[in-house]
Amino acid sequence: MPGAARGRCMAGSGTFPLPAFQPGCGVYLLTINSETMKPVTNLERTSAMDAVFARFFRGEGARRLRTFAPLIVLVVLCVLITIANPNFIELRNLIRVANSAAVPLTLAMGMTFIILMGSIDLSVEGALSVAAMVLVLLATNDANGNDYGWLAVVAAIAASTAMGLLNGIIQTVLRIPSFMATLGIWFIGLGLSVFMLGGSAIRLMDNSIRSLALERFLGLPLAVWVATAAFLLAIVIQYHTRLGRHILAIGGGEDVAELSGVNIQRVRITAFGVAGFFFGIAGVLAAAQLGQSNAVIADGRLFAAVTAVVVGGTALTGGEGGVLNTLVGVLIVTVLANGMVLLGISPYVQQTVQGLMIIAAVALSLDRLRLKIVK
Amino acid sequence: MKKLSDFFATGWVQGAIPPVLLVLLVAIVEIGSPGFLTGETLGLLLGNTAVLFILATGVTFVILIGGIDLSIQAVASLASVILAQLLPSIGALAFPVAIGAGLIFGILSGIVHVRLRVPSFVATLATGGVVAGMALWFAQGRAITIEEGGRLSTTWINGAVAGVPVVAILAAIVGIISFMVLRYTRFGRYSLAVGAGEPAALAAGVNVDRTKIIAFAISGTLAAIAGVILAARLSSGSPSLANQLLLPAIAAVIVGGTAITGGLGGVARTAVGALIISIVRIGMTFIGVNIFAENVVFGAVLIIAVAITIDRSKIPVIK
Repeated sequence: MPGAARGRCMAGSGTFPLPAFQPGCGVYLLTINSETMKPVTNLERTSAMDAVFARFFRGEGARRLRTFAPLIVLVVLCVLITIANPNFIELRNLIRVANSAAVPLTLAMGMTFIILMGSIDLSVEGALSVAAMVLVLLATNDANGNDYGWLAVVAAIAASTAMGLLNGIIQTVLRIPSFMATLGIWFIGLGLSVFMLGGSAIRLMDNSIRSLALERFLGLPLAVWVATAAFLLAIVIQYHTRLGRHILAIGGGEDVAELSGVNIQRVRITAFGVAGFFFGIAGVLAAAQLGQSNAVIADGRLFAAVTAVVVGGTALTGGEGGVLNTLVGVLIVTVLANGMVLLGISPYVQQTVQGLMIIAAVALSLDRLRLKIVK
Repeated sequence: MKKLSDFFATGWVQGAIPPVLLVLLVAIVEIGSPGFLTGETLGLLLGNTAVLFILATGVTFVILIGGIDLSIQAVASLASVILAQLLPSIGALAFPVAIGAGLIFGILSGIVHVRLRVPSFVATLATGGVVAGMALWFAQGRAITIEEGGRLSTTWINGAVAGVPVVAILAAIVGIISFMVLRYTRFGRYSLAVGAGEPAALAAGVNVDRTKIIAFAISGTLAAIAGVILAARLSSGSPSLANQLLLPAIAAVIVGGTAITGGLGGVARTAVGALIISIVRIGMTFIGVNIFAENVVFGAVLIIAVAITIDRSKIPVIK
């Protein structure tokens, strides 16, 4: 999407001839790339409606409100569920919530970086199932004689990271949009893992890896601590590394970032690699929790991850939001799922609710002034 | 590399690659196992391609306007569940109800995309989730078998007229109507215009929003028709019935030569693409490629086809 700097007089795709000067767009823009940045008049639907909209939703106060809206939603949700069913607030249930948030949180950490760039990674389920497949096939299992212990974990995460890097390379070298590149990789990963598993479920019998899900430290399963570590790592990456700042810069406006000397291709490939790394950790956790790997271990994970990131307030256009938002988003999704179970609502409706949440969150958070053409 | 991509970008080359590929594939299969080109196997091939083609035709409309529909497999599954659920009680009326559901969710996707200005892949990912959840709910998470009583209204779909399977005829009808709609109606011309350059279409007075919503409505309807046919063929409906069809359907459209950037392509190309995908699938089974590994091939084919057909001049920043 074009950068904000072009504002009202933004160019479309630049495919039709335009007069050099246009009334209503008095400023000649400094064009960096004249192919794509010809000034256009009010052809675009920048109307009074948009201006009013902007005043209401972009004012200083509203901006702050929008930043904290996910947090408010989370608190309100917790209060409402507690009123409906006090069991929710019990320590046992809260631990359950934390436990079921572990995998989605780790996944969503990776997804956050991709969405911050304004891209999308649809290969979540492929990467996760590949990591889980590599793990169970290399660790002690009931299908072959391998017993590599924790090396299997390293291999699983490496495999998933490699898939992420592949995503980035395909996207930047072949120059195709990320949703297409990752759609392909999604099914390649899924096909590969189901093929290697022979279409059946293979049990994970390595006790030390299983302990990730079974053993507890300070009352919380180890998986929760791993997810917390992943969260802290993501915070460090976003706020304390050059990579994190470059990702935000690319999401905010890729042309500007490029002119400022950001190596777009390298940052993109690295970011997809980082995402793959997080998906790999999530795959290990998922396999440890399930005690096996099968064809459906990753079902619905993509959906949960995207919902969490978007509901947390990270804009799909990129450049806005971050890891902290995603933590809140993951908690909203998990608490809602837990609450629906407590209230006796059919678990089948969950996906429906998550879908509606994506639509609502995206519709509320999109910065419409920056979005002229939506594809 | 540069020259190669220039070569692939030339209009007529791009249009010619898929049919040539199709002929080549048929020739390879015919040489590998003589007798492939006889009536019976061809009928089987057409029958197997029909559902994929109908799904792909729906997505073609959306891809032509420059969008993508990731909800087709969910809509098809929902239609199959509705059909299986309602056939015993309301008989043949279940067909229009199931297809109507597809239409409604197609329009819904379109409205979410256009009015709320959500990018189409997220909008349809979300509506796909909504639909999948509803299908699970209606079916209570299991597959529903169409009982003896209900099968009376589905047997005709599994029959054949003069050796040609009825499903292939249905697919042909859908294909011809879609072809006509794209070529001879205002909506068809508008969709190509929107896909080729939205600001230009807007400036020329095209009602872009309506065109987009209609495209999504067609996609939903055709997905539901595909789901209904699938349910009738398998005599059961299930919330995950069509899950494996999303990727082949999109791959069929792209392999056929319709550009993911929109504005270029059509139903005839999708027909070629669907046949290519079908033959590749049959060929893989024939060579002995594991059925689970098929997705690996389709994923790779998709990426390669997108890389060749995409019009990079249209997207200043590739996200």
